Amino acid sequence: MKKITELIKEKRVYFDGGTGTILQEMGLPAGQSPELWNITQPEKIIGLHRSYLDAGCNIIKTNTFGVNADKFENYEELIRAGIACAKKAVEGREEAYVAYDMGPTGKLLEPLGELKFEDAVELFAKNVRAAAKCGADLVLIETMNDSYETKAAVLAVKENCDLPVFVTNVYDASGKLMTGADPAAMIALLEGLRVDALGMNCSLGPDIMLKIIGEFEKYSSTPVIVNPNAGLPEVVDGKTVFNIGEDEFSDYMVQLAENGAAILGGCCGTTPEFIRKTIMKTQNLQYAPPSEKNFTMVSSYTHSVIIDRDPILIGERINPTGKPKLKEALRTDNLNYVLNEAIKQSDAGVHILDVNVGLPEIDETEMMVKCVSAIQAVSDLPLQIDTTNFDTLEKAMRMYNGKPLVNSVNGTEESMKHVLPIVQKYGGGLIALTIDEGGIPDKAEDRAKIAEMIANRAAEYGIKRKEIVVDPLALTISSNPESAVVTLEAIRLIRQLGLKTSLGISNISFGLPQRDLVTSTFYANALQSGLNCAIMNPFSAAMMNTYYSYRALNLLDTGCVDYINYASANIGSDNSSAQKQGESNESLHTSIVKGLKENAVSCTKALLENTEPLDVINHHIIPALNEIGTAFEQKKAYLPQLLMSAETASLSFDEVKKKITTEQSDKSKAIVLATVKGDIHDIGKNIVKVLMESYGFTVYDLGRDVPPEVIRDCAVEKNCKLVGLSALMTTTVPSMAETIELLNKTDRRIKTLVGGAVLNQEYADMIGADFYGADAMDSVRFAESFYQNQN
Amino acid sequence: MKNQDIQIITAPPDEVEINQNELAARLKVNRGYQSDALDRCRQRLLEVITYQCAYIRTAVDLSVENRCDFGFMTIDSKNLYRNLNGCREAFVMAVTTGIGVDRLLARLNVSSQAEHFMTDALSSAAVESFCDYVSDKMKTGIRTAPRFSPGYGDVSIEVQKPLLDRLNAAQLLGITLNNAYLMTPVKSITAIMGVRQ
Repeated sequence: MKKITELIKEKRVYFDGGTGTILQEMGLPAGQSPELWNITQPEKIIGLHRSYLDAGCNIIKTNTFGVNADKFENYEELIRAGIACAKKAVEGREEAYVAYDMGPTGKLLEPLGELKFEDAVELFAKNVRAAAKCGADLVLIETMNDSYETKAAVLAVKENCDLPVFVTNVYDASGKLMTGADPAAMIALLEGLRVDALGMNCSLGPDIMLKIIGEFEKYSSTPVIVNPNAGLPEVVDGKTVFNIGEDEFSDYMVQLAENGAAILGGCCGTTPEFIRKTIMKTQNLQYAPPSEKNFTMVSSYTHSVIIDRDPILIGERINPTGKPKLKEALRTDNLNYVLNEAIKQSDAGVHILDVNVGLPEIDETEMMVKCVSAIQAVSDLPLQIDTTNFDTLEKAMRMYNGKPLVNSVNGTEESMKHVLPIVQKYGGGLIALTIDEGGIPDKAEDRAKIAEMIANRAAEYGIKRKEIVVDPLALTISSNPESAVVTLEAIRLIRQLGLKTSLGISNISFGLPQRDLVTSTFYANALQSGLNCAIMNPFSAAMMNTYYSYRALNLLDTGCVDYINYASANIGSDNSSAQKQGESNESLHTSIVKGLKENAVSCTKALLENTEPLDVINHHIIPALNEIGTAFEQKKAYLPQLLMSAETASLSFDEVKKKITTEQSDKSKAIVLATVKGDIHDIGKNIVKVLMESYGFTVYDLGRDVPPEVIRDCAVEKNCKLVGLSALMTTTVPSMAETIELLNKTDRRIKTLVGGAVLNQEYADMIGADFYGADAMDSVRFAESFYQNQN
Repeated sequence: MKNQDIQIITAPPDEVEINQNELAARLKVNRGYQSDALDRCRQRLLEVITYQCAYIRTAVDLSVENRCDFGFMTIDSKNLYRNLNGCREAFVMAVTTGIGVDRLLARLNVSSQAEHFMTDALSSAAVESFCDYVSDKMKTGIRTAPRFSPGYGDVSIEVQKPLLDRLNAAQLLGITLNNAYLMTPVKSITAIMGVRQ
């Protein structure tokens, strides 16, 4: 018998349909796991498989959908029995294959859920190892509604057997997975992982799938599977019926086949009759496997980014080179700083975020993995993993949720032999630097030669040409006068080779004054030469001006809509300048009281031109905060207003800090904050943090669920004599008491300030706290008085 | 076994009116409080919210005192037993505002505590309001007992597991439980609502 991967190149093949409905009709009680019948009633399972094979299907799904080691102690036995039933059913038949069927774990992966990525891989791997021994013909990963879990399952299959792997996901009426991915994002991810067929199953019915199939036809070079439900379940007279019958179903399947579906079958509510009619109506339709698509795609867990004519902006801000604040943040494990850079760049309009955390004094791999995970929790942009450390690259690509851009490989043997196998395994767009053992060639032709050489080497690893994005390297014109000219020529030559291009654009102006002028002009030239991606600073107005203007000028922005939106928001049309004028009449004091952030920043800057920094704090910021604080205490203002004001004051404070010399800065006002061990609620603690910061405190925020020892260690290490503890649940008050006891034992001078929904003065006294803060303002007042008494 | 007798209700974000009392309580403001910042938070929330509900109508056996037997789960509880008094059936439901809300909250938790606080309050009020919305649909023409959620009174929060499994909530709604029986998406509710004969 032919391998299934060969057969799908030649003809349309068919999956079987649903099992649940039929098994219930055979007497399976609602709520009982159907997989148990693999052992207790194998003849019924074999009978069901045979009825589908008799209807003409080629691939039967084993009755193992819900089996895994977490749910069933005897998972191996259930899998073995399930595959045995299917193999018995296909015995003696032609073109009949057994797909070991693997469904989701039912748990959500980190960062939003609790299941660790590697634990998910291992859970699936246990299944696969059991199944691989039993002689299935392929593995079907199905009904997956999360891209990350899908990736874990595919890796488990690839790493534990040689069987072909088919994957189907569940798309909802909006054409997305439950956790957000659209078909293009899934195609990018799954083709990167080199699955043998991909598509959709379950969902709402063939009518909904018909709306999505076009996306698969457009982007997938891999055969597409369509296994819909028989529509929606409805309960009629206490019995479940699906609202699409076999005639209607099979008519839809004809349309799906005509729109590129290569492998057809059914899911919930479908029966052998559905499959028989589908086969009857579609088997004579002309069949061709999907054509090779030429998109350079990277993806996140929601969407893909296509690298083509429309320029792609890659945010460069998460890279410590030349950024002392980011260096400091990485050294002190201050992920919030990194995350804020990610959010701000994404708001500024970049398409991809570069992530580089290489610093000699930190563990780059550990930090990269931490950052990638944390950034993916707050931003849905695809990431560019930027590292020269091969181990860091491997670990980051493995745990990345999507198909990343890899920065980078170069033409040296050392780089290619390490990077290419990693990209081969996990899939990724690949930035290729035109440098080899001889350094960076002076001539554009020689850079293009290196590009071609890398593309050819990559092809040996099965990495397609479309995945290569060449960076011909921009060196500063201050020391290499010909650099810009050569690089622009190299872009043209490399584009002629059919390869995409990228540049770290800012390098060109290194060492020159007013760098933005040179960089943005060079960017315009590079775009004109065919540049696809720029690694750039999205906070540079000059760069963004060039980007939006170029698109408007080159038919990439229909009706100049994006340009007009950008221009009216940023370049001071009459409207916006009038508005800004209006706002700037407000004083810093009023801006803080009203929570007008942008205005507060500009007022602060203006004030600092002729006012001493400390006077700005003492005569403007603090009185404004006190006003809103008092209004809050008198119930004339509410918590949302107080928080807005506090955040506004913090931004103003940041401006002032830039002007304060080290001698002037008041480092002594500090507090350690934590939600105690066992408690995961941090909203109250965060409110206190914002307020403390707005009053100029240095806050050491330890997060939530923090063990007593960690809190003590921080207080000792930072020599901080004020500790704020928060708890929301009664069950965690003892852990607060334990923390206070430990702090008292360590240093009697450390004062504790406690708060949280379950606490009151009496409780606070009982557990030995020094102060009970009834609300955030109360806590700030105490902290202020604590430090006043110290001085 | 996927989705046999389970019913689904969805609603566009603007069709569910967010209960003002609920919102005011969570914001710690007086009813009717308004601000531009709150409006912006509401708009942004509505862009990511996906209201979804899965429910079944199922028999409940109350023949043993203080024991509520739903066939697929048995709950030993005085409070629920009293709540279901006189019912032979009950609706068992799970509702959620979707994972997009969790992502938005995670992002705001980094970028702005003020907006995080307001959005958290809005989304809590939203999921409660959606729960009312679906309950109203289910009980059209029937009398029901007040809605009762696991974790309330003497009903253990561990009941979440069989309840969500029965509703195939992981698959249909994307609701999963962590080891402490807390749900993700965070703005999700499970409930039992007795049908009075």
